[in-house]
Amino acid sequence: MTTTVAVGSVRRWVRRTRSAHRERGETLGNFYFAVLFVAIVGGMLHRQLAAIFWPAAPNASVLAGGALSLVIVGGLYLALRRLGPLGLSRPAASWLLTAPVSRRRLLLPSLWLATIGAAFAGAFGGLAVLGHVAARPVPGPDALLPLAGALLGGALLLVALGAQADRWWSSWPDNVAYLLVAAGLAGLVVDSAVAAPRAPAGWPAGGVVPAVTAALAAIVTVFFLLAVRRLAHTPNERILEASKTAGTLLDSAFGVEPSFVTEMVERRYWARRRLTSRRLWARVPVLVAQDLVLLRRRPRRLLWLAGATTLPTLLAHAPGWILGAAVLVGGLVAGGAAAATVRTDAGNPVLLRLLGLSSRQSITQRLWVPGVLAALWYSAALSMLHALGDLPAGPWWALGLALGPAGAAATVRRARVGFVDNGLLPLDTPMGSFSTGPAISALAGIDVLLLGLPTVVLIAQGAPLTWTGVVAQGAIAAVGARAYVSGTTAADRVELSAR
Amino acid sequence: MDQSAIEVRGLSVSYGSAPVLVDVRLTVPVGAGVCVTGENGIGKSTLLRCVASLQRPDAGEIEIFGGPPGSTPEFWRAVVTTVEPPTWYPGLTAREHGELVCRAHGSDLAEAGLDEMLERFGIASHADVIPPSLSSGQKQRLTLALALLRPSRLLILDEPEQRLDPQARTMVAGLLRDYLAGGGTALLASHDAAFAAAAGTTTVSMADLHAADAR
Repeated sequence: MTTTVAVGSVRRWVRRTRSAHRERGETLGNFYFAVLFVAIVGGMLHRQLAAIFWPAAPNASVLAGGALSLVIVGGLYLALRRLGPLGLSRPAASWLLTAPVSRRRLLLPSLWLATIGAAFAGAFGGLAVLGHVAARPVPGPDALLPLAGALLGGALLLVALGAQADRWWSSWPDNVAYLLVAAGLAGLVVDSAVAAPRAPAGWPAGGVVPAVTAALAAIVTVFFLLAVRRLAHTPNERILEASKTAGTLLDSAFGVEPSFVTEMVERRYWARRRLTSRRLWARVPVLVAQDLVLLRRRPRRLLWLAGATTLPTLLAHAPGWILGAAVLVGGLVAGGAAAATVRTDAGNPVLLRLLGLSSRQSITQRLWVPGVLAALWYSAALSMLHALGDLPAGPWWALGLALGPAGAAATVRRARVGFVDNGLLPLDTPMGSFSTGPAISALAGIDVLLLGLPTVVLIAQGAPLTWTGVVAQGAIAAVGARAYVSGTTAADRVELSAR
Repeated sequence: MDQSAIEVRGLSVSYGSAPVLVDVRLTVPVGAGVCVTGENGIGKSTLLRCVASLQRPDAGEIEIFGGPPGSTPEFWRAVVTTVEPPTWYPGLTAREHGELVCRAHGSDLAEAGLDEMLERFGIASHADVIPPSLSSGQKQRLTLALALLRPSRLLILDEPEQRLDPQARTMVAGLLRDYLAGGGTALLASHDAAFAAAAGTTTVSMADLHAADAR
């Protein structure tokens, strides 16, 4: 017979014991730095934040407002699912989850925290939609939109909470959320393409927002009470997984090491998949065949990439150099869909040694699949911009294909960067110390995209594209990619980086 | 053949102020199998790491097949080591890892005996599983299967019997014996004298290698 211990007293004891060996005033110091950080960042970015959440005058159509709402709802749900949403700190997951304490009382603080977080995110989303769509001054009933957003955030959290308990329907809302994000992005693209007129002054209609808010408030209250009652039934492994996620995110933030998160996401994705071994295609080099097998296993990712070729049209009215730079970065994302193997080899060369290929052979082979992906993505994105009249006449599809080698080299350079070097000397600036390691790591790959500079110039010029421009871009990308391979690999070395 | 597969002279390594290897000498002729034994911390793994060129010694000379160990493709086509655990390719199954290794060495799958090897190592039923989802013992089996699957001239194995059950130990010892019989050379570190004997290797105490002609 086990006795249930009051979790509150255990937590108080842990806090007291931990504070005994903490430096006096450490918590106060952390709080002070957090407030200072928010104040400085807020001071630096308040104009940009105001432009995002509350522009001086409404500037979006009804379609854009609706589409933005869909993206926020889908995105918030997916973020909540990725984070848990119910988790515990790693020490609490290790020691208190297995202790004879009331499960509901143990998890209740996490539920409150998640609810408040989701409500804030929803409220900011509602504020952004209101700021972009509603006329000024905002009509009284419409001012409830942030509250409706907060309640919707709470409702999404409750659905995510149910899904976390691994119910039979768990995968359905995930798929719906993906569809909502896709539909929302498509709506934004269409809005940009057809230059939809600004929302009429009376939108949303007076009674809609209060009615929706009231309905949401009732639903959220009922389901929140039910969720609290069923809190103890959340499976242990789900809570452990969420606590690992939170721990990895914190490690990644404190260590300024984004690869921790990339690796965790990749590991979880494959751990859930059921695979069947395939033969490697014999007609292509072995590492190309391997990349093709892995690419085939992620059809949904390819679908997203195909859909993302429309996103540059959102920037069609921005200055040409911004549009050009955005297109170039898009190729890096497309190529990155086939770069996990390079990341593995860069992190640990044991398998490369087992394969016995030189670094030049392996990198040359690894460039192919990201190169083809990037070339197709560039070609589709530029063709889309051309078709919608955002680019002047010319063979833009060919320019996209010519950019392929630049996208491939940039992708592989980014994947090879490995761990962030936090040992590099920090730079002292008037605004404080600046770590060079994370900055260099963040720029890896972007630097090689400079090979696509002719494309940025061609887009910025706004003149019709000639074949000379395509050939010049193709030559620079190909020569640059070749120089990258010969400069960073060796025929007499297996490891990707020299020892 | 009078050329040595491994020739180590005056090898010294220390971690901070603690010397681990002091003036170590070791000669392993081509076609021979040597198993280094000794208690924890005596420097077995450090010796293997130096021989496999994964660690730079403080002093001493190492020759592998008459040349310095290095990171060239030629070196890694001749030498296989399990001194460091692999990081598996994400999303690639156990069998596909095997096929990748065979294809990279230009071996025909049937000739290399990929499926037979997975069967012998008892992981044929897990061929479609990604290696991170295997148990630690199964991962060790897969690592050894990949090491023995590809052509090589020298095997450097650090405690290959680790995490294996008794039947698997016997099977691995048999495979190592076949490898030596086929003209290969092996340098092992192990705590299991019976395993070393079953594998057909000569056991050498690490303590005897310090400043002494072991062979």
